Amino acid sequence: MSTRHIRNFSIIAHIDHGKSTLADRMLELTGLVSERDKKDQLLDDMDLERERGITIKASAVTMPYVYEGKQYMLNLIDTPGHVDFHYEVSRALAACEAALLVVDASQGVEAQTVANAYLALETDTELLGVINKVDLPAAQPDRVAEEIEHVIGIRKNECFHISAKTGQGVKELLDAIVTLLPQPKDESNEPAAALIFDSHCDEYRGVICYVRVFAGSLKVKQKIRFMGAERSHQISELGKFTPKMTATKELATGEVGYVIANIKQLTDVTIGDTITDEDKPAVKPLEGYKPPMQMVFSDFYPGNNTDYPKLRAAFDKLAINDASFSFTPQSSPALGFGFRCGFLGLLHMEIIQERLERENDIDVVQTAPTVSYEIVTKDDNVKRIDSPSQLPDVSHIAELREPFVRLEIITGTDTIGAVMKLADGRRCKLLKTDYLSPTRLLLEYKAPLAEIVYDFYDQLKGMSRGYATMDYEFTAFEKSNLVKIDILVNKIKVDALSLIVHKNTSVARGRRIITRLRKAIHRHQFEIPLQVAIGGKIIARETIKAFRKDVTSKLYGGDITRKMKVLKKQKEGKRRMKSIGSVQIPQKAFMSILDTSK
Amino acid sequence: MNPDFTQIALYIHIPFCTQKCCYCSFYSEPVANHTPAILISALIKELDKFADATVRTAYIGGGSPSCLAAEQLIRLTEHIVTLWPDIAEFTIEINPGQLTADTLTMLYSIGVNRISIGAQSFNSSELEFLGRRHTVDVIKTTVSTAKQIGFENINLDLIFAIPGSTIDSWANSLNTAVGLDVGHISAYSLTYEHGTLLEKMLRLGQVEAIDEKLDRQMYEFAIDALTANGFVQYEISNFSKPKFQCRHNLTYWANKPYIGIGPAATSFLDGKRITNVADIEKYASAIETGDEIVDQTDVPDKIEYACETAVLNLRRTCGIDMAEYKQQTGFELIELFAEIIDKYRKMKLLKIENGRLFLVRSALAIADSILCDFAVI
Repeated sequence: MSTRHIRNFSIIAHIDHGKSTLADRMLELTGLVSERDKKDQLLDDMDLERERGITIKASAVTMPYVYEGKQYMLNLIDTPGHVDFHYEVSRALAACEAALLVVDASQGVEAQTVANAYLALETDTELLGVINKVDLPAAQPDRVAEEIEHVIGIRKNECFHISAKTGQGVKELLDAIVTLLPQPKDESNEPAAALIFDSHCDEYRGVICYVRVFAGSLKVKQKIRFMGAERSHQISELGKFTPKMTATKELATGEVGYVIANIKQLTDVTIGDTITDEDKPAVKPLEGYKPPMQMVFSDFYPGNNTDYPKLRAAFDKLAINDASFSFTPQSSPALGFGFRCGFLGLLHMEIIQERLERENDIDVVQTAPTVSYEIVTKDDNVKRIDSPSQLPDVSHIAELREPFVRLEIITGTDTIGAVMKLADGRRCKLLKTDYLSPTRLLLEYKAPLAEIVYDFYDQLKGMSRGYATMDYEFTAFEKSNLVKIDILVNKIKVDALSLIVHKNTSVARGRRIITRLRKAIHRHQFEIPLQVAIGGKIIARETIKAFRKDVTSKLYGGDITRKMKVLKKQKEGKRRMKSIGSVQIPQKAFMSILDTSK
Repeated sequence: MNPDFTQIALYIHIPFCTQKCCYCSFYSEPVANHTPAILISALIKELDKFADATVRTAYIGGGSPSCLAAEQLIRLTEHIVTLWPDIAEFTIEINPGQLTADTLTMLYSIGVNRISIGAQSFNSSELEFLGRRHTVDVIKTTVSTAKQIGFENINLDLIFAIPGSTIDSWANSLNTAVGLDVGHISAYSLTYEHGTLLEKMLRLGQVEAIDEKLDRQMYEFAIDALTANGFVQYEISNFSKPKFQCRHNLTYWANKPYIGIGPAATSFLDGKRITNVADIEKYASAIETGDEIVDQTDVPDKIEYACETAVLNLRRTCGIDMAEYKQQTGFELIELFAEIIDKYRKMKLLKIENGRLFLVRSALAIADSILCDFAVI
């Protein structure tokens, strides 16, 4: 099809603003799915996605559409709707010419709307404003249009008013996609160049690459080359998503579809790589995306060392369809053998954690999530560490850098005092304030990621009664005055409890950590000293007293079966904990070190 | 026949009480709502099933056996000694003052030779808290009456860590008990058993449990005070003068077979733990019609039996005779629990001496935290 009749677009929105519902309505209106066989939110593949109401991975669909008697091809590339999955959004945007920015008419512009709009601006993506849920009694489309104009810069009279739920305005929106959105550049005579914007692994067919063809075309049997990976393959099948995978002979310039080329492992395919023709290659690869950046790291140890192979198998399985999740073997003097895992963000971590539990029967001890740091050594080497235990001796360190983010918070003016106090306490620097309306305010901060990654969002939600929203993008590693806090449990240093914090707050943090640990670790048969060390010097100490009594007074003939059950349970409880020396540490203790609540 | 069957302990459960005590979790019902004679007939029928066994010890417990009418109690005990004239130790649990001197004399002459008295405390306020109907003086009278009749083997049950109690009040109970010159004392820490009124009161904040530290002090005090007065602690909660250990209860801690008769009673026979239905009417009518009276059967496998044996043996201060253990369970104790034994020996909570593994004194109060490691492999 001529590029004049192709439109490629994404939908970007804050979570729950109706992105997936709109996609479903479009599928219905273009006749791809009948009312009868539709399941809600067709594009969300995994159960977990459907349950949490979020899209984790991007996916695509090709819709036929007739406008003024002419046949058009509309390619929708769905994007994830959560702060952790920025890089997936940027992937989707790079494959499109335009995006629909969907905003809930009853909620207005939210932090994620702003963050997504920034991403679109960075990738030169055309934006079309869409105000959704106008059928709701609480809808205020005019106020929301003003916010969009004010914050994003889309003219308020150019916003579309729709209800994805009832279908109101969706037909007009599809027409506008044809008439208002740019067509792909016609580079059909150039050597083939297709961008891989996603991939997944099929048990039988191997890796399936999601591609957008920017130049030339791809055909079955064609010999192709992955320019970045420098590998050659032969296309065995290609096709379009309608929404099922439907094989075709060719994918032409401007089109979106899939390519199968007998590739076994997902790791052999890099998202953002360019596919070109083996014999007549493109001069240079397409501009890729921002590479995925893992921001949060956490150790996973099997509760029982014999479960190590099981845990590895489980991670292998999870990694098959999640290229942004990584795991590397890790051995801790205190906790034994496990894995250091990297995630895009905390939600990503929770999803992996939940899938691990749901799909496997393994007791896992997980350490508190940390961010990565950059170290400049005395001999001027810059290296990245993703665990406090990897921090070299201070004598080797010239400079310690931590990741900073641009943080956007949107909140009501009535809670601004509390929100600013929260941000202040987390070393956030206010860059900008902007009134979206007389009652809503956008705050822009420069924030250390380590301070906001764990419970910042929960506290923000709490103090704003759920109304405040936030989003962040990584900006850079910058020098900080950081120190490492070490925790000694029963005189043994527990590396998994170490934490890197700002020097000014280190003593207070250290004290708080052992107060938390004192509550989280059960009393034992003996007294357990807890100590905090900074730079090898003990700065605080607490003691977990020994329990004084734990005995069944009466045990006679009728009690034996029941008592044995109780004792077995007591033993199982011990087994679920991690032994360090002779101290049993429960899972919640590892997390408690990040607990900042009073 | 099972070789163990030649040396067996017999327990008879009397599921009646005048009224339920707030801390008691044993199965019992108000005696006034039932016709005890029907139950006694049923018990006798169930006893007859075991006529072939060689019963060496018998124990009538409850509930409160002493709330039965004298003639019912006498009918039951007479039947038992008729079946097994060679019983070496025959215990009845009684509440202070609940049996007349005449009834006690009758029981003694039939062959009952040990009585276990639910004294609980020698402090009026504590007896009141526990909802006991007897007074301190009644306990004393009961003991002296029993002695006059000829009972030499008398146990007093005592409870410590009662809300409101102190080391002094506990010392008073212990000293009074010792002064009554009995051969056996059981000292139990008050427990808030699931499903009891007391546990509910604790949950609702109507009572406050005694501080764990004080509870421990009371326990240690009991060990010291009783030992100083010629008692030997032979189990976590049990103390006796020489020759007055309760042979019947020792069967349980040896993990040897026993017969349990009556509603909710448990037997351990042929490797099976069989518990009768906890319902007086159902039990009695099933016995009458020859139907099944079993509510639950648990069959520990070899490893489970070895674990049980270790846990139960370790409640005794003499602990586990390792040679005997091997013979009884087929396992080398030291191999089966190598890691744990090693750990606790290093922590000085377990000790091995003369072929026996046992808890040291300081481990007794925290025994469950150690025994749980023996409860499962």
